[in-house]
Formats: sequence, C-alpha cells, structure tokens
Amino acid sequence: MSQRTERRGIHVDQSMLLCNKGCGYYGNAAWQGLCSKCWREEYQRTRQKQIQEDRALAEKLQKEEEAAYASMQGASLAPFSKFEEKKTNEKTRKVTFFSPSSRTAPKKERVEQVMDEVEKYIMTCLYKSVFCPETTDDEKKDLATQNRIRALYWVDIQMLCVPVDEEIPAVSDNVVKAITDVIEMDSKRVPRDKLACITCCSKHIFSAIKITKSEPASADDFLPTLIYIVLKANPPRLQSNIQYITQDGYYFTNLCCAVAFIEKLDAQSLNLDLEDFERYMSGQASPRRPEVGSGWPQMDTAAAIPALAQVYQNLDLLSGLGSRQERVLEGVRSMQSDLITWQESVEREVQEILKKYPLESRPPALSAIDSDNVENDRLPLPLTPQVFAG
Amino acid sequence: MAAGGGAGNKTYSFKVVLLGEGCVGKTSLVLRYCENKFNDKHITTLQASFLTKKLNITGKRVNLAIWDTAGQERFHALGPIYYRDSNGAILVYDITDEDSFQKVKNWVKELRKMLGNEICLCIVGNKVDLEKERHVSVEEAEGYAESVGAKHYHTSAKLNKGIEELFLDLCKRMMETAQAEERAKGNGASQSTASRRGVQIVDDDPQAATAAGGCCSSA
Repeated sequence: MSQRTERRGIHVDQSMLLCNKGCGYYGNAAWQGLCSKCWREEYQRTRQKQIQEDRALAEKLQKEEEAAYASMQGASLAPFSKFEEKKTNEKTRKVTFFSPSSRTAPKKERVEQVMDEVEKYIMTCLYKSVFCPETTDDEKKDLATQNRIRALYWVDIQMLCVPVDEEIPAVSDNVVKAITDVIEMDSKRVPRDKLACITCCSKHIFSAIKITKSEPASADDFLPTLIYIVLKANPPRLQSNIQYITQDGYYFTNLCCAVAFIEKLDAQSLNLDLEDFERYMSGQASPRRPEVGSGWPQMDTAAAIPALAQVYQNLDLLSGLGSRQERVLEGVRSMQSDLITWQESVEREVQEILKKYPLESRPPALSAIDSDNVENDRLPLPLTPQVFAG
Repeated sequence: MAAGGGAGNKTYSFKVVLLGEGCVGKTSLVLRYCENKFNDKHITTLQASFLTKKLNITGKRVNLAIWDTAGQERFHALGPIYYRDSNGAILVYDITDEDSFQKVKNWVKELRKMLGNEICLCIVGNKVDLEKERHVSVEEAEGYAESVGAKHYHTSAKLNKGIEELFLDLCKRMMETAQAEERAKGNGASQSTASRRGVQIVDDDPQAATAAGGCCSSA
C-alpha cells in the first residue's frame, strides 16, 4: 500500500507541496495551497473584507431580502420538518441496535451493522461542521460548477451521443426520475444515503438506455447519459457532495467522471468547432439544425420536443381547467343571486300574509265563573239548615 | 470495498478494470463471462457496465468486481478515476482494427506510469472469430505483451472462446501479487489487520511528516 502511494505521488514536485506563501511549511490543497497558519491569516483577512463589503451591501439589499425571506419561509418549512423526522429516526434506530439481542450475538455481520449505524449517527451529528465547511473554498467550487453547468445549457443529446430516446414516454419518465434522484442527493445527510441516491439514479439511467436500445447498457452508453443527466439536473452543491462521500463505488466513480468531464469539457469533446463552442458558451448563439427552416434551436427540436409537447398538453389542460373553473364561478354567482331573490320573495310573502291576517290579540273579558250561566234558575234551591226541636 | 486481499478470512476482493477503444467488445466480454450471454434478444440484464463474480480458486474465495469503462476517445482523460486502486486491468483490442491495438499500447504506458508493477495486465485480442480480417499479427501482439510484462490472450465473445481462461489466469496472478504484498507487509512493521474501510495514513517521507507537524504545533 505504502509503495503504491509513493508511486502515485511521483508527478508532484516537492516544492509544490510547500505553502504558497513560501514560509517553508507544507501546504494543503483544500487551503488553496497554504499551510494552516498562513491559511488562517488569509482566511481572517478575506473574512474581514467580506464582512465590510456585506455591511455596505446590507442596507441596499434589505428590502429585497425581506421580500425573499417572506417567500422563503413557506418553502423552508418542508425540508426542516424532514430533518426533524430524520433526527427522530436516528434516535429510534440508536435504541434498537443496542438492544440485548444484538449484544448476545456479536457476529461479524452484526458488528458491521452496528458500525454502519454508528457511522450514520455520527455523520448526521457532524453533518453541519463537516459538509461544505466555511473554512474551505468548497462553496466557491460548488458555485463555479453550478455556473459552468448553467453555461452549458445548450449541450444536447446528439452532441454527447447519448443513447436514449426521450420521445418514448417510459424513457423520459426514467430520465426525469434519474434527474430527481441526483438532485435529491443533496438533501441526504449520511454518505451512505447519498450513495443510495446515486445508485438509484444509475438504475433509472440503465432502464432508460435499455428501453431505448433493448440491450443491456454498457459503460460506453452509461457515462454520456450520466453526464447528460447531471447537465440537465444541475444538482446543488455537487462538489461538496462528492467530497463528502469519498467512497469509490462504481456508480460514484462514474459521477466523479461525469463532473470531471463537465469541468474540462471543450469544443473537441463535443465534436464542435472552437469558434462555435465559444459562441455558444458566451451565449451569442445557440446551436441550430440546418434542416429545420423555422429556426428552432436544436435543443427544442431534438431533445425538448417531448418536453414541449408535454408543456403544450399541460397548457391545454390548464386552459380547460380555467374555463371549467369559470363555469363553476358563473354557476356560483347565479346561485348566489337566486338565493338572494328567493330570500326576498320569502320575506315578501311573509309580509303579505302578515298584512292580510294582522295579528289581533283580544284581551279576555274578566267575569264570574257562572255569571252567564243561564240554567242557574233551574237548579234546586240550596239546602237550608233546619232546626228540630229536641 | 477496499481493493486488495482481505487477509483474515481468506477472501480476496479484486477490482478489475476493462480498458480499450469503443466497439472492441469490452462489454460483450464481461457479459459473456458473467452471464454467458451474447447479443441475446431476450435479455434480463439491466446493465453490463459493472458486474461482480464470485469464484473459488484452490479453496480460496475470490470476489471479482469488473468495471467496464467508456471507450470513446473523449473520455480518455477520465481513465485515472476508473483505474485507481484496481488490481488488474484487461486491455482489449479488436484484431481487425490496428488502431485499437495502438490504443492498448497507450493504456499500458499510462498504467505502468501511474500504478507501477502492482497491477496485473492482460492484453486481449478479441473477435478471433473474424480471423480472416485480422489486421494485428499474433507475433507482434504477443511480443509486445511480453515486453511490457503483460499476458496476451485471444478471445471471442461471440464463440465464447478463451474468456474463462483469461479471467481465471488473471485471478491467479492477482492472488499471487496480493500474497506477495501480504508477506511483505508481514515482514515490515506491525500492521493493523482491520480490513474495514477508513482513513489510512501513510508516511511517504518521514521528514515531510515532522515538518508538517511543526507547522501545526506552532500555529
């Protein structure tokens, strides 16, 4: 192992390993070739500068920021709850894998499993300080890659010789899934989960190629397709994610290759003239197909036609939905007016009836219970007490 | 996933990388070897770019991970990312295409420069079923292979010829290399036997280590 390491380093000149400032200590690539001391100084200085610049900008940007913050609040809620969910998951898992059953059987597999879980837990805890730490220029690299991919928006399936036909619905379905997977990678916290995303993405790519070519995908097909997917997806914080995973599985290696290819991509690798490439990159022109007279950019005719068709279909659906909604609204309005007139008519009727039959309340006449009893006369005389001599 | 012999339980894990120009038959070769298929219409295989095979050679278990690579010229520069840490390389050319043999020579040069003699090289002339259209002479190919310390094989993925022998031979050679390395390790300082992946710190140069240490402690 050690021999190999030495040999691999054969191209690195000793002087290149030293700190760029020439202080005599060894530098580190992650610190822009400086040693830890010089880097700290440099970092502090740039940070101070940054803080001052930020302060100057702050007032100007405050209004915009507030507006953005308001809109962001809604969006940031979902990922946060995801993190929370994950955290609780980790906690429960931690409890289960230290249960007595796992302790009694210290098999090798068990140990591996526990190690994996511990790694998971530790990585979840360390994520904030290890992933894209502030003290490195990872963020800059991420942004550079992102901009690079954005500038390459015009690269299409033909240029890369990608063997997938997106006009087949099942294929474009797989392509979309692959894009989603590679974007999702950023949201995972454990390297293993990130790797799982890459594997999932690769599986979808393989399916897409297999459906198109009806034969198993070879590496010749896979790598260009992966490059295409990465270009289309423009996954966030790509460099940081790659640095964070640092494990060499086959799919991961291919992703590294794709990123390396995109970074070094030039006219030759797309079989283009240097001039054309420069013009496309600077945004002065976009590639066109000579046989299409209407002047559609090549991207639209070739790669995006199914996408366009889908867009049109969705627009149709939307306008249909809109008209239906209008009809519903009309109905609601007429129902409302109906309700109002009905209420009025009911009120009117009630009023009319009330007018016709005014409510009279006659107070009852007060009189003795038997005052008008006509048959009183016919009653026998009341009994009178009789006195007997005794 | 660490390459090299897992010392403890006598299971070897080897990474073998397939290199060569596009269309020389790299993929067909692996597919034939791992699944015994050639240009089958009813294929259940999803992909043929990364395949694994378990072998038992003289009572020792061997896990082979075969990495196919994209052969197109435009991806040539990405080679180092693929062949990093591999134990063996199979360099394939098409016997009817002299250009592809030239590419193999380039790969050999690069591999020897980057990985030294620890990697087992196999040079494979594929498509011997097209013997009539041969453009690379047997003598030239075998002579070249010997001169760079590689073994030469003739195969046909279509006829399933020579493939089993190729991989078996390569495995045996990789095992020998791994055992030699183990012995060298045993003679040297005590090595931790932990085979789990992790950070391995290797001192290339003792001076460098002390110098770096001084920097850290002074900071």
